[in-house]
Amino acid sequence: MILFSAQKSHPLYPLARSLRLDILEMINHAGFGHIGGSLSSVDILISLYNSGLFNFDKDHFILSAGHLCPSLYVVLAQQNKFPRGELLTYSQFDSRLQGHLNLDTPGVEYASGALGQGLSFACGLALGDKSHHTVCLTTDGEHNEGQIWEAIAFANKYHQGNLINIVDCNAYQLGGSTADIMPLDELAAKYIRFGWTVTTIDGHNFFELESALKKAKSSTIYPACIIAKTTIGKGVSFMENKFEYHDVKDLPEDIYLTAKNELQKY
Amino acid sequence: MNSKNIENKSIRQAFSESLFALAVKNPNIYVVDIGLRPSLYLDKFAARFKSRFIESGIAESNAAAVAAGLAASGKTVFLTSFACFSPALNWAVIKQSICYNFQNVKIIGSHAGLMSADLGASHQMLEDVALMRSMPGMEVFAPIDAVEMSKVLPVVAHSSGPAYIRLPRPSTPIIFPKNLSFTIGKSHLLTQGQDITVLGYGPILSQLFSDDFKKFSLEIINCSSIKPLDSETILKSIKKTGRCLVIEDHQKNGGLGDAVSNLILSSGLKSKFIHLAVDNSFGQSAKNYFDLYHHFGLSPLAIIGAIKSLLSKK
Repeated sequence: MILFSAQKSHPLYPLARSLRLDILEMINHAGFGHIGGSLSSVDILISLYNSGLFNFDKDHFILSAGHLCPSLYVVLAQQNKFPRGELLTYSQFDSRLQGHLNLDTPGVEYASGALGQGLSFACGLALGDKSHHTVCLTTDGEHNEGQIWEAIAFANKYHQGNLINIVDCNAYQLGGSTADIMPLDELAAKYIRFGWTVTTIDGHNFFELESALKKAKSSTIYPACIIAKTTIGKGVSFMENKFEYHDVKDLPEDIYLTAKNELQKY
Repeated sequence: MNSKNIENKSIRQAFSESLFALAVKNPNIYVVDIGLRPSLYLDKFAARFKSRFIESGIAESNAAAVAAGLAASGKTVFLTSFACFSPALNWAVIKQSICYNFQNVKIIGSHAGLMSADLGASHQMLEDVALMRSMPGMEVFAPIDAVEMSKVLPVVAHSSGPAYIRLPRPSTPIIFPKNLSFTIGKSHLLTQGQDITVLGYGPILSQLFSDDFKKFSLEIINCSSIKPLDSETILKSIKKTGRCLVIEDHQKNGGLGDAVSNLILSSGLKSKFIHLAVDNSFGQSAKNYFDLYHHFGLSPLAIIGAIKSLLSKK
């Protein structure tokens, strides 16, 4: 395990702060958004798009958990797919940045929102384009869906070495902790039993993310799963580990200002 | 034409043959099957095109999204199953992964309707047209026989975007004139008549070609393109006859009859109207589907009753 101070020395670390602030701004401006999972998943996406391991003009990224779109939007803006100012149109009428993903957003390859479908779509895409990698992001709560397990079995059957599924494991979902609602228990062991290669990492640590992505990319026969242990609401102390911050509606001014203050010091 | 002399052929056999012929010419044709390969006569396809035959097992939701992902890589994908499973079990996956993402997936729903007589209610899909008609961007087709099937397949394969093709299980009479072609959004005038416009899709219409119907002046229109619907031909005929009879092996709710009654009302035309379909019931087992058609009011006797009722109405 790399020490926290070392993690802060990673060149991508400043993005973890600035893009968290962007997420807060867009959700506060819209008066709506899935803030908890966006803050848990944003470091995964920063690493995915900035590590230089993938070229998403050719490789494919499928966000299966469409409600995490704020974290994808801020990363796509950072990648200059659209102007950063457009983030403030999130979930507004006629915006290209819908409340859940659709295909109008530059850089988005799969429109999602209903959970459990993206990994199957990624399997199909990886099968049809074997010369590139397909990376999918799912969540632990999403593994409640039976379809995810159909896809996990499918990827094993077709030896989809060019498929990577990153699971954002923040341990919470809309109505409580995943352990209470439908326990996943030994998720890594389950993936291994299904024929996948698995790496478990701290999903907020850029060194670990980069090395897990590198390892997953090098797998040629086995589909690769990265279990990213994360914290829901990461960076805002009172949102961390609180399922009540799965999504927010009209953030009160004081909550917004306190969160902003904390994220500025992240 | 006497029904006793009409040749019978299975529509799903024709589907399989046309798909194979198409796949020989077009390397982009893929199948994602949902554990029903032999029932859809896909053994030959699977053996010849190993890498283009993807077997998902009995997992309708995964199969629909895998098909969408394959289509996203540029393939034309046929998603094959029974209608009672796909598009029934995986409707929301078809909505998001196929339609909302506008992927080129052709959904083949076999064994549709009461025609799957002995299988019973669980397999007699009577809601598929309603489910697929309501889906944004989805086109819906139901060939009348094996000949039309072989004409529908290449046309639908060539068009981009999502489509649903409804197939029945048994061998059914050949009705479709060999010289006619299939065009999306176009219906076929099978007989010209003055008194009643008869609309429907699929082999149920073959019942109208027995001698018992010769004494009536019926304009029988084959609506194999259920969505988009050929409103021009339909309304032109109803304007002439002033009487409309819709027959379908499907629920009344959400079926072709709903589409046509809406069309007539919106057009401002005045027409007498009878809709013969299954009315808010489940099917049941029977040795052959004629018994079920009799039970659910879809038999030649019931159709003649409806014709007489339309003719007597002022």
